[in-house]
Amino acid sequence: MTYPSIFPTGATLYDPGRCWNGYTVFQAKEVGALLIDMNGGEVQLWKELHGMPNRLLPGGHLIGSTGERSTAFGSQDGIDLVQVDWDGNVVWRFNQYEFIEDPGEAPQWMARQHHDYQREGNPVGYYAPGLAPLTDRGNTMILSHKNVRNPAICDKPLLDDSIIEVNWEGEVIWEWVCSEHFDELGFREDARNLLFRNPNWLKSGGGAGDWMHINSMSLLGPNRWFDAGDRRFHPDNIIWCARESNITAIVDKQTGRIVWRLGPNYDETAELRRLGWIIGQHHAHMIPRGLPGEGHILVFDNGGWAGYGAPNPGSPTGFRNALRDHSRVLEIDPISLQVVWQYTPVEAGLAFPVDANRFYSPFISSAQRLPNGNTLITEGSGGRLIEVTDGHEIVWEYISPYWGRMLKINMIYRAYRVPYDWVPQVETPAEQAIERIDVTHFRVPGASPRGARRTVNVAGVLPYRPDAALCVRTDVVEKS
Amino acid sequence: MSLILFTATGCARCQIAKKFMREKNLGFDEHDAIGEGKELFGKFYRAHRTAIVRGADGVEFPVLADGSEVRQGVAAAIAWLQAGDRLDGFIGRSEISKGWVGGLHVSKGDPAAIEDLVGVLGFLKRNGLKLLLDTDGRNAAVLERLLAQGLGDRVAMELKGPKALYAAMMGMPIDTEEVHRSMTQVAGFPEYRFETTVAPVVRAEEGPTGLRYLTPDEVAETALWLKVATGSHRQPYVLRVFDPQADPDDRFRSVEMLTPTALLRHRSAARRHQVLTEVE
Repeated sequence: MTYPSIFPTGATLYDPGRCWNGYTVFQAKEVGALLIDMNGGEVQLWKELHGMPNRLLPGGHLIGSTGERSTAFGSQDGIDLVQVDWDGNVVWRFNQYEFIEDPGEAPQWMARQHHDYQREGNPVGYYAPGLAPLTDRGNTMILSHKNVRNPAICDKPLLDDSIIEVNWEGEVIWEWVCSEHFDELGFREDARNLLFRNPNWLKSGGGAGDWMHINSMSLLGPNRWFDAGDRRFHPDNIIWCARESNITAIVDKQTGRIVWRLGPNYDETAELRRLGWIIGQHHAHMIPRGLPGEGHILVFDNGGWAGYGAPNPGSPTGFRNALRDHSRVLEIDPISLQVVWQYTPVEAGLAFPVDANRFYSPFISSAQRLPNGNTLITEGSGGRLIEVTDGHEIVWEYISPYWGRMLKINMIYRAYRVPYDWVPQVETPAEQAIERIDVTHFRVPGASPRGARRTVNVAGVLPYRPDAALCVRTDVVEKS
Repeated sequence: MSLILFTATGCARCQIAKKFMREKNLGFDEHDAIGEGKELFGKFYRAHRTAIVRGADGVEFPVLADGSEVRQGVAAAIAWLQAGDRLDGFIGRSEISKGWVGGLHVSKGDPAAIEDLVGVLGFLKRNGLKLLLDTDGRNAAVLERLLAQGLGDRVAMELKGPKALYAAMMGMPIDTEEVHRSMTQVAGFPEYRFETTVAPVVRAEEGPTGLRYLTPDEVAETALWLKVATGSHRQPYVLRVFDPQADPDDRFRSVEMLTPTALLRHRSAARRHQVLTEVE
């Protein structure tokens, strides 16, 4: 989060020998779907094609959306979900989830897609050996919005999350609506009380409570837990996470019931207390078969502000009562809830907690496990992508140079790395290492070099102490 | 004819029934079934169990008896007093309350009794009750009359299926033009919705065992018919699951019950012509 006003953008660090090299695709703010190489070279832009997220498919196809509904009437409603080819031709489109007649707008069908979708063939939407997404057929799971009323939750209208399965022909053949499972979500009385009064009220469209704000949805895919007989982890089951409630859950595809859940409370067992409060998280998914860590849950635990519950000094009403000013990437064993790998400010080499907010994105963001064990992390709010090794070394870094004109931020919602051979239309690019610049000597034109022009000695001074005291304690990790 | 009226303390519908009887100068004995007449009603109930429905909230009052017949609920009681059994097809037991009267079946009664029906519904309406009508398309003239008289606050129309299958779904000859007229009328009521229970239909061309559910395309045809009849693709249209065990037709017992999820394809198909279609 702590950026100076002047800093480089584009690729800033690259160790080809230690990276899982390929293309990276992301939605460049107010520009379009951008495919870059490891040196930040812009291979192709699908101009103004929206995407939440954009995903590349084998053959150079891309999934995105042609636009969003007016924010006067909706929030993050994608008009449609489209698959386009390398030349931008639409080869598949879905929009027939709800017929929308917004005042002053042309009536039209909308998918109301937001945050996620998955094409059959691959459970999580990123590369895994033998799990290629289909490009000319197959069903698509889509995370959508649905306006509902449910007095058990709140007496106000709710902007609910639904998950639908759509076939290639565009028929909705399966639907799951979150509010219908309210009693399975584990809200305590204080949270229920607050939800009833303030379900995360949004003004658009006359007002509705974005009470859960589910922001990722994927399938579990084949996994060892199911192979060992645990039916909660059936490959067809769906994992999602919701930033406003701090809940991550698995839905049984057959029954619709929630069969595994993390949150909304993280103080009820020793395992949960050890895990710590997950806040406003994004992109919770099961690492797919064939990748290091397969079967574990990988999640970008944003921190920031989220949740419903008891009031505290940082949340006088109990709305968004969980607060933290740094992020964590956690790889969690779904059975024991042990953290088996993590990337937090500590692993990033930042003094904790005083400098912890230098690894922090309070919204959006993601983590992708790569075949060589590295992890591609989208630290979204600052438009920063990093590839880190299992040992937490950054071997690739990229800062988006695209700030929005309407929203002055270079945010990246979620980036994905794909293999070179998924884009047969272009030659595999050259990979040129980018050495780490010693920032202590890096200067912009006109700036003076480091080093005092004159140094004097002062008699009697003591050497600096290695355990220097600050105003707050440092490098203290809270114990459960 | 000696009339007995079992009422309950605080029962507004009982007051409406008594008002009707007074206006018609019908003498009756009243017993408060949860007060002084509790013991008497208990005895009466045991003797007439099959004629009195006890729901989740208990027995609905008033209950009217004339020595040979028993009628339960304000609409049924007044209908009996107005026209004997001539309104039995039109007026059944209401399963809703809180100011509403249901069980008003436009299609199931004898159109010749229309004046009595208008009289009964008019009395209920004047006394503050809201009327929930249902129809399957038959008796379009009755529906037109009720619409003209303002007798119907909400209408639910069961669209059995597309024109070509309507008679087969009903198990009787049907004038589909009359169904078409009813659709047009329904859209004129203050509140209304159209419903299709996705049910099995006997496919004569497939022999005696040719039982198959309505297909998505057939539901789409139904939705298209609705669009043509009403001139709108925005009708409130609901698809419902068929319960084979609850249907009186024994042929359907062995049919597997569909899930709401199985109806999503039907919903997608129907939305080609009725964009607000939902599965209930």
